[in-house]
Amino acid sequence: MISETPDVIAATGQASMVDRLYDSVMNIYRNHTFRVTIQAIITVWAVITFTFFLIRLMPGNPIDVLVEQIMVAEGIPYQDAYDRVAASFDFDPDASAIDQYFDWFSDVLRLDLGTSITSPGTRVVDEIARFLPWTLFAVGTGLLVSFVLGIVLGMMMAYYRNSPLDHILSLFASFMTGIPNYIWGLLIVIVLGIQFNLFNVGALRGTYDVSTTPGFNLPFIKSAFEHAFLPIVTYVVSTLGGWMLNMKSSTMSVLNDDYVNVAEARGLKDSRIITAYVGRNAALPLFTQLTISIGFVLGSGVVIEEIFVYWGLGHYLFASITTRDYTSMQGVFVILVITVVFANLIADLTYGFLDPRVRVSGQK
Amino acid sequence: MNQKMNDDVVLRVDDLSIVYRTKRGNVQATTDISFDLKRGEAMALIGESGSGKTTVSLSLIRKLPKNALVTKGQVLYQREGNVRDVLKLSKRQLREFRWKDCAMVFQGSQNAFNPVLKIRKQFEDTARAHGWTDKEAVRQRALELLRLVRLDPERVYEAYPHELSGGMKQRTLLALGVLLNPQVVILDEPTTALDILTQRAIIDVLNDMQKKLNFSIIFISHDLSLAAEMADIVATVYAGEIVEIGPVNDIFYDPQHPYTHGLLTSVPKLDHEQDLLTSIKGAPPNLITPPSGCKFHPRCPYVTEKCSVDGPPLAGDKPEHLAACWHKDALLKAREELAQEVAQ
Ligand SMILES: Nc1ncnc2c1ncn2[C@@H]1O[C@H](COP(=O)(O)OP(=O)(O)OP(=O)(O)O)[C@@H](O)[C@H]1O
Ligand SMILES: [Mg+2]
Repeated sequence: MISETPDVIAATGQASMVDRLYDSVMNIYRNHTFRVTIQAIITVWAVITFTFFLIRLMPGNPIDVLVEQIMVAEGIPYQDAYDRVAASFDFDPDASAIDQYFDWFSDVLRLDLGTSITSPGTRVVDEIARFLPWTLFAVGTGLLVSFVLGIVLGMMMAYYRNSPLDHILSLFASFMTGIPNYIWGLLIVIVLGIQFNLFNVGALRGTYDVSTTPGFNLPFIKSAFEHAFLPIVTYVVSTLGGWMLNMKSSTMSVLNDDYVNVAEARGLKDSRIITAYVGRNAALPLFTQLTISIGFVLGSGVVIEEIFVYWGLGHYLFASITTRDYTSMQGVFVILVITVVFANLIADLTYGFLDPRVRVSGQK
Repeated sequence: MNQKMNDDVVLRVDDLSIVYRTKRGNVQATTDISFDLKRGEAMALIGESGSGKTTVSLSLIRKLPKNALVTKGQVLYQREGNVRDVLKLSKRQLREFRWKDCAMVFQGSQNAFNPVLKIRKQFEDTARAHGWTDKEAVRQRALELLRLVRLDPERVYEAYPHELSGGMKQRTLLALGVLLNPQVVILDEPTTALDILTQRAIIDVLNDMQKKLNFSIIFISHDLSLAAEMADIVATVYAGEIVEIGPVNDIFYDPQHPYTHGLLTSVPKLDHEQDLLTSIKGAPPNLITPPSGCKFHPRCPYVTEKCSVDGPPLAGDKPEHLAACWHKDALLKAREELAQEVAQ
């Protein structure tokens, strides 16, 4: 035998060395987790603080809005209307914003988002718990469908590049990304709902048919999907084009990589090469974009839900803005920010499972 | 249609011509390449950059780029008495043929492994694609091969590609290459990207493996000294043609083609390419409009009018040592004079 090469020597180090290495890697890992978590918390704090004051800079306050309504509706003088509204609201318009902020924020720290200003006694947390699941359901389904579809179509475009299929899909994808999602929402209402009368948008108000009993039963699930269908379609068409184009270019570059060529020379089946060799590597960069997309789609959901009268968090937020229900608005923003920031955090911490190359180096 | 092949011939390349279709015209990358490779034999293809070595090797597993076209010839593999032309296999037969009958280590394939899968998975994938599903058996075989290429088998088997150095990856690829007991292993400049010591280690490992596993090798290299160590047979390729082929000793001590002689006298120094240019005047020809007659004639010191009209046949006194030149005598005389000069 010829003398051992350096590789072998390096590999057969003492066990204690390996243990210590493992420990220190784990430490760095914990630190990384710790650090990004702290960053996430600071982000959440900064954003909700910013929005707290932004909300208060909006013209009008909850009392003014309702006073005006009552004056117009009942024709009574300002002072009478004001007294009536102020008595029923749990809100002092003259308190300083700073004081309000500290009051509110200390409640938030105790996981209490307060009660609604315009309907005293209604806890904001309860309202959010009622509306949030529907938004997550519609946005989540929409994103998932769009992501999976985009990956499949994008790969097809790359595999059949320069074919008529590729040209048609590319055109289609650029067209879809070029149109903002609220325009898509309106288009869908006008075309599918009014022109072709395929969907009765009015009858599909809310999130499920109230004659069904919520739970794990077919009629309820069916009606939930029916009600969410158009918002989901909107989320899909407005994001699909982006995934397709990204996946196409990512796949084309992976197809040029040596390991794909070698995999073919190894006689692997096409199905295995497409999924584990091309697909998996090409999809990696898209996962990072998925986290960005979550925030984007959640944010745009406010308008989309309003267009389709879908009673999710966006609908609730819209109603709160109309009445200047500060606490409800703040509550929604807190939840939205937390959802987005922690979706990113989870994506950051789990990316290593998808890409072994960042598993150690990325944690440093 | 198949000529009789001796039992010990595993690969016969017969009159193989390949063109690349490009915007500027057809590149005649190889012309009428023919050779036999015997069981357990190692053959080296040597020649300048662009002479068509990679093109030949890719065609042996039918893995040419899309713009390539085989205009003529056969690539016959013989295994257990069956002779098959790779160029005529169906898609499915081709997939099954690859790696099982002929494995290839590509030129500069430092990224030959899928970065997101462990080495173990990539061995298992290869085995499963060829109907071998017993993971434990694959593992045993893989560990044995990894040991053979002098790696720490357990560790490498469970590693991700990025955890291995370039030399380790290259050796892992060699181990993977022989996983299915191929008859032929093609190595396209397997050591070019590596340092001298690692190159040595790989050559040793290869020689060792070949002795134990008895496969045949096609070894492509710029480096004559590496080729000399690896090969039983050396073929010199010039402008897409084999201009000389013979046993390694004949080629080194009795070159019959001026191009081979030129390669040998340009003893590799640090900058190999540059040295080549000084000892063989001129540059390799443009393969879109190759020279008439003998393609080497514009650079040949012994050129006569005949050379530019007629291409010489690959021929020789000994059946195993052939060269395509009209002026072997002139070369022999020149070599004798050179030897005398050196002796004085
Ligand atoms: N995909 C391609 N399209 C067009 N021409 C090509 C292509 N690949 C190779 N060629 C041409 O074919 C000829 C032979 O190339 P090949 O890669 O076989 O050379 P080589 O001997 O392997 O060179 P090297 O030592 O640099 O690897 C060259 O003239 C090259 O320019
Ligand atoms: Mg080459």
